[in-house]
Amino acid sequence: MSVETTVNGEPEEQIETEWTEYGFGGDAAFSVRDLDVYYDDDRALRSIDIDIPEESVTALIGPSGCGKSTFLRCLNRMNDRIRAARIEGSVAFRDRDIYGTDVDLVELRRRIGMVFQQPNPFPKSIRDNIAYGPRKHGDINTGLLSRLLGGDDREREEELVERCLRGAALWEEVSDRLDDNALGLSGGQQQRLCIARALAVDPEVILMDEPASALDPIATSKIEDLVEDLAEEYTVVIVTHNMQQAARISDQTAVFLTGGHLVEYGDTDQIFENPQSQRVEDYITGKFG
Amino acid sequence: MISSIRPYRSRLDALSERATDEVVAGAIGALSVVAFGALFLALPTYSVFPVVTFALAAAYGWYRNQGATAKSLTFLATASTVIILGLIVVYLLWKSLLVFRIMGLDLFRLASPFWETSKRTFALTPMIWGTVVTTLIATCVAGPLGIAGAIFIAEMAPPRARGVVKPAVEMLAGIPSIVYGFIGFNVVNPAMSDYLGLVSLGSLFAVGLVIGVMALPTVVSVAEDAVTAVPDEMTDGALALGTTDWQSIKSVVIPASFSGLSAAVLLGIGRAVGETMAATVMLGHNQALPDPLYDVFANTETLTTLIASQYGNAITRDDFMSALFAAGVVLFVTVLCLSLLSRYIEARMQSTLGGST
Amino acid sequence: MSASHASSATIEDDRSGVARSAATTAVGLSVLTMLLAVANVLNWITTDASVASVALSTLYGVALAVAGVVTVAVGLLSASAVIDANANDTSGVLSGLPVGLLALSVVGLVASQTLGYGVAIWAPAALVCAVAAFLFGSLAREDLTATLPWGGFALFVAAVLLAGVITPSWTWDPRHLGVALTGTITVPCLAFAASLATAWAAAKATQGFGARGRQAGAYLLIGANALFMLSLLVLLVAFVVEKGAGHALRGIHLGPGLSVHVPFVMNGAGLGYDIDGVFPAIVGTFWLVFGALVFAVPLGVGAAVFLAEYAERGRFTTVVDIATDGLWSTPSIVYGLFGYAFILPRLSPGGRPNVLAGMLVLGFMLIPLVLITSREAIDSVPDAYRDASVALGVGRWETIRSVVLPAAVPGVITGIILGVGRIAGETAPIILVAAGGLNADPIRVIHGFRFTSSPPFVANDALLSATNALPYQVYAVIETGVGGSESFGWASAFVLLLVVLCFYAVGIATRMYFQRKLER
Repeated sequence: MSVETTVNGEPEEQIETEWTEYGFGGDAAFSVRDLDVYYDDDRALRSIDIDIPEESVTALIGPSGCGKSTFLRCLNRMNDRIRAARIEGSVAFRDRDIYGTDVDLVELRRRIGMVFQQPNPFPKSIRDNIAYGPRKHGDINTGLLSRLLGGDDREREEELVERCLRGAALWEEVSDRLDDNALGLSGGQQQRLCIARALAVDPEVILMDEPASALDPIATSKIEDLVEDLAEEYTVVIVTHNMQQAARISDQTAVFLTGGHLVEYGDTDQIFENPQSQRVEDYITGKFG
Repeated sequence: MISSIRPYRSRLDALSERATDEVVAGAIGALSVVAFGALFLALPTYSVFPVVTFALAAAYGWYRNQGATAKSLTFLATASTVIILGLIVVYLLWKSLLVFRIMGLDLFRLASPFWETSKRTFALTPMIWGTVVTTLIATCVAGPLGIAGAIFIAEMAPPRARGVVKPAVEMLAGIPSIVYGFIGFNVVNPAMSDYLGLVSLGSLFAVGLVIGVMALPTVVSVAEDAVTAVPDEMTDGALALGTTDWQSIKSVVIPASFSGLSAAVLLGIGRAVGETMAATVMLGHNQALPDPLYDVFANTETLTTLIASQYGNAITRDDFMSALFAAGVVLFVTVLCLSLLSRYIEARMQSTLGGST
Repeated sequence: MSASHASSATIEDDRSGVARSAATTAVGLSVLTMLLAVANVLNWITTDASVASVALSTLYGVALAVAGVVTVAVGLLSASAVIDANANDTSGVLSGLPVGLLALSVVGLVASQTLGYGVAIWAPAALVCAVAAFLFGSLAREDLTATLPWGGFALFVAAVLLAGVITPSWTWDPRHLGVALTGTITVPCLAFAASLATAWAAAKATQGFGARGRQAGAYLLIGANALFMLSLLVLLVAFVVEKGAGHALRGIHLGPGLSVHVPFVMNGAGLGYDIDGVFPAIVGTFWLVFGALVFAVPLGVGAAVFLAEYAERGRFTTVVDIATDGLWSTPSIVYGLFGYAFILPRLSPGGRPNVLAGMLVLGFMLIPLVLITSREAIDSVPDAYRDASVALGVGRWETIRSVVLPAAVPGVITGIILGVGRIAGETAPIILVAAGGLNADPIRVIHGFRFTSSPPFVANDALLSATNALPYQVYAVIETGVGGSESFGWASAFVLLLVVLCFYAVGIATRMYFQRKLER
């Protein structure tokens, strides 16, 4: 599917945002059209049009306050939690408008996982953190009654915990202390635990909001390796303010600039080597931002 | 905890050197405090002299070295809280000594006769039972309803409603207990006898209900603070996994705020145990165990109402008065244990949650 | 059980369907029934009354029958897959327990009381039924366990009411308990319980059971609880106002000039007044609170400064923390005892109750309230302020005085106001140490000072005499009938409530004002 740049879009707005047309192969996981977000009266995002392809890493970069995190939180409707936020335009996930009236938020968020800027494990054991989602969805049953009646999914749970922790490259470090409180882990471990926790509900997309910004360089590189691995199976959308990081791990890059404009979107190599607009070039080369 | 990481303070202290006259002023101040204590206990009218010397010493110190004087004065204020608590403990124990000597452990005997003041029999068992029953009923009202109310305010109510409801609830926590007592006496007691055909006015059940309603706003307010203190990121984490709001409240918010919630309930229990006026005006003051024991509609007595209602009769008799002080000791120990328990739970939760803040 | 989450599931939620709108109707009907039952308990409607020429208990019966039938039907249809739902295959212990308890109480009561079986029969019967119900409630499909028991209970209650087994004139004397349960209260209580049950069950059905169904059920219960609680508390205040305001404002007139004369608030009690008033009590409360403030605020704030600014954490601070907690939680009557034993004999010969003792005892009670809030306020002043001041070479006390305390003042003042609201309403300690009957005239503290030749050289007879106070006034009306009528008591309670709630309102408003200012 190719990008249609002018769907619903106002021409002036298009010119103002210096939208660069770019096409890519594969299906779009998200098709965003003419998305505006307001916090009370402040406009955080302006007429965003973007298609995010499946099974690849899409990086959202830009200076702080440019609205890239806001955009990310639109994709699984976490912005609904902020009461002052008002959203206009459309966001389609797999061709279904996720802002429609009959959308089931619970199912949507189960299918679109999210990893936050600050690691936020629950104050429970490592095992319970991973099994939290499947248990809540009724996929794994370890309640008292099922244990008594033998309908206990303990083995399946063990297997799931190991698979997810391996998937998040954390298994080696914590396999001998799965029952310890997750808050005892280091920051980097906590963040990988949060990734493992998101994997456990078997999402189709993983959104990451600056997942490495609170971590040291070693933990950061582990997370980056992990993101590249994840892209083989999942669609990953990652917000980062670190341009080297975006260049290293992403397939596509979208550059947001101050005021909530999506200025340029395309192949990562192309964006970093041959940006179309002067502003993006200035930002990437560090002249501004 | 915060204060330990402010190293500059101790360094600054070392820098300030003390002149001789300041030390003398300090010594005079300290001596007059001790003298005041001694004189107030023995010859209270003469305690005016140390008060004057203390004021002079403090004024001189304030003029010479404000910093050191301020530190000493604030230290004195801090020590006064410990001293007051100490005095309360000592005087309660001292005054109740007599009845302990008369009754021994029979103060808590399990068989009648319990309370016959003319025969110098003062067993507190019926009153303790009354306190236990009213507290249980009150907790059943205030605990679950209070926590549910807190969850409603913190997690479910729209922000505008919350801005109104929270202060309103806090205000209602301030309604004096005598007002509840007045309502209980004039409205609840008659209604109980209408609906339930109670022979006598007043029952442990009615008192428990009223105390429960009275403790409700306090429980809601403290529990709401605890629920609000759970970081949003944690709830976000659960929601992003595709749980419903209720699932995230049940399995993340409530466990994470468990210590605060239990502190709220313990606080409610503490209020119920110590509640005096509502119970005093509603009950019929019959110092006997209900028969059968589980008859919550009986008209007996609690520890607090015993003191409030009987002290007029006891004022001329040392042994009787001493029994009331023993009731005070039991009350005091109970609420102190409750407050220590809530402190312990909080400390334990904090250590398990580690650096979750 | 994971069928509902198969990857084929769509993100659209199916909320349409006749069954769900029927369930919504059942929720509405149940809620209306609940409200009716509450009005009934509050005696706004009497149980033997009739609404639109239908007897109230018949109305309950019909409403419950409809709600029960709908609930059961939705559950059965969902279980037989006629309608879409995402119910779990088993329900779990938490669902089984209430079902078991329901069976235990219904079967137990019916077998022992209605059918009159002895304990040898009803106890085992109830137990067996309870276990069976528990197993059903835990193991059966969620849509069945959520609806059948509760809908069934509503149908049972409906049958009992419609068949006239329990009527408004029915009574029941449980053995051993000193009560006789009347139909007047039993009918609305049963109706309330049954309609609550159907409302809960039907709310689950509106969302097609499953996690979302449970959320709907829980939110309904919690929302109903919050509504109930708030209305109860508002009702309490409104009730006192309604009962007391009339008497308190009786004989109010303007003039001379711009002044307003409110006899109840401005008169004393006695022969000289046309309308007996509570002025002496108000003055008494004022002096008690004033004295407590003078005594407690310096100590409380001073201790807070020491703990927050000077003290290193260690054994001493732990002891102080425990002492503060202890003082905070000590029941007021215990303070009264302490004042009686320690202060009274030292202040007045013969240990008679007096104002000064009341001030001191209320002051003791105020110290921990002031200390805790002040300490929080001082602790919440950012360290950056202190660092900035110290980095400029300013001493520690100077920093506290000129930077920390000004920043903490709003919090400290809020704490003091709220503390005053609390002690102004205290009755128990006053009875023991300060109160004595209704005074005809207010105490005159300011004019009472005089100098004497022997220590302590200053004397004030007013401070050493007993006084009246607002909370004591209310107590006296109940205990001894002093001041006469019940309406006098309601009016005193109204004035007391007004004073205390004003303190709280001001305190809370101040706090919110400064909080909002800080957040900006």
